[in-house]
Amino acid sequence: MKKLLSAIFTIASTTCALAQEASTPLEFSGSVDTYYKYDFAKQPGNIKTSFATDHNSVSLGMIDLVLKKKTGKASFVGELSFGPRGQSQSLPSADNTYSETTNSFHIQNLYVNYDFTEQFSMTAGYMGTFVGYEVISPVGNFNYSTSYLFTSGPFQNAGIKATYKFSDKVSLMAGLFNDWNVYSATRGVSAVGGQLMVSPVEGWTAYLNVLSGAGGYGYGTIEDLTTTYQITEKFKLGLNAANYDTNDDGGGYAGVALYPQVAVASAVTLGLRGEYFKTKDVGAVAGTKYTAVTLTANIKSGGLTFIPEVRLDHNNDKPFLNKTGLTAPNAGQFSLAAVYAF
Amino acid sequence: MKLFVLSFLLLFTSKIFAQQKEFPLDDRGKYIYYEMVEGQKVSSDSLLKKATSFVDLKYKKTFKSKTVSNAVLKAEGKSILDKSVLVANRPIGEISYHFQFEVKEGKYRFWLTDFLFIPYQRDRYGNYVASTTIGTPLETSPGKLNSGEWKAIISSAYEKSETIAKDFKEFLAKKTEPVSKKAPPRVVSTDKW
Repeated sequence: MKKLLSAIFTIASTTCALAQEASTPLEFSGSVDTYYKYDFAKQPGNIKTSFATDHNSVSLGMIDLVLKKKTGKASFVGELSFGPRGQSQSLPSADNTYSETTNSFHIQNLYVNYDFTEQFSMTAGYMGTFVGYEVISPVGNFNYSTSYLFTSGPFQNAGIKATYKFSDKVSLMAGLFNDWNVYSATRGVSAVGGQLMVSPVEGWTAYLNVLSGAGGYGYGTIEDLTTTYQITEKFKLGLNAANYDTNDDGGGYAGVALYPQVAVASAVTLGLRGEYFKTKDVGAVAGTKYTAVTLTANIKSGGLTFIPEVRLDHNNDKPFLNKTGLTAPNAGQFSLAAVYAF
Repeated sequence: MKLFVLSFLLLFTSKIFAQQKEFPLDDRGKYIYYEMVEGQKVSSDSLLKKATSFVDLKYKKTFKSKTVSNAVLKAEGKSILDKSVLVANRPIGEISYHFQFEVKEGKYRFWLTDFLFIPYQRDRYGNYVASTTIGTPLETSPGKLNSGEWKAIISSAYEKSETIAKDFKEFLAKKTEPVSKKAPPRVVSTDKW
């Protein structure tokens, strides 16, 4: 009893001490998204990148809820998502069927952070990946459909990382991670990763990323460059280039995507995504090459963004289907998405 | 039920009032928050020192650079604008501005102007970060689609300016010279009764 009282007193004292530190209000935000997509060959899932899979259907993306709180130097972020985009299409144990036993988690981000100094911080938990240009949340992307680079790379990394900010222009992150996209490691804490951020001039930020260890295709190393440059008030250019090699001829991929965007009116921005992507040979099985062009508009009204989009993909190896169900080298689709962020 | 309706109406009314706050324009056609304070009994030098301390210490995180010359203080500031719903809130963006303080015997004036807004967006880790590095002047017409949201941003920027102005005037009205050092911890002696 004495021990219990002592423990309660200790907890109460700690809480009181923490309460006296600077505390931000609880931050609550999120988004919802829905879409209509029409595949020109009337083939659902013809273009096999992530999300927006349905054809000729008004379908759901996800509802995303984010909580954040900072007390003194400690903070946490918890992000839950519900819906196809936020569950079976992006989370672990996904088999495109909902199951309470194999796919009942909804967590996109769940981590704690501690700022030891203004320059040095450490973060542990389950985090959106530091690799790549595009993200799962539609709020974080300009295009509604996703690139092959995004689909092939990691979505999330669970682990522990340390970040040192040398200045506003340079920072370095290093961490130890589980294998890709899992809440708990299946092969132990088996990957090391790092990120160098440089901002050479105002408006230009570049991230050089490396992640080596257990991943989606076995053990391998991914090198990634993600950069954006706000060249003028109206024109922004983004670039993502990545190379992934796995051990023992287990495959991998390489590709580059360019993202020019121009604001044509105060509420309207047009953007193009041009992508070249190739998968690598797996043993005797040859890899294949894709090119894809996506023209997207973002029309904003308050928290709502309408995203009309046309996408054309090409591959000489004919991985797509035409209207008659025969293999084809080209595929195209139109989609209209509505994303509301709050 | 009546209480609920009344609370709702009060909240709604507050919201409307909050949205009515808007800056006047200066002679360049830019939004300005301007105040002049007369009846000062302390010297101009002392007021200028206090104003410098305000920028350097009290609002250290807000003001990034400053220049002081000939009884004029100029500084560049930045504040985060939040959107609150009940107990929760989230940042919607940041405003940067130019702050200027001028002093003469017995009076001083100050103003904030050249407001630029940078919207925030959520990043991959669930944190809000600046979506661009180039700010939009608050005087810019946002178009019909975003006029409501823009009015709320202007109103929020005005409230921030009011808060800074209130803190600034209070700081300058203090009798003692501002001291940067932390107050010494309170010591209780048990030797004497």
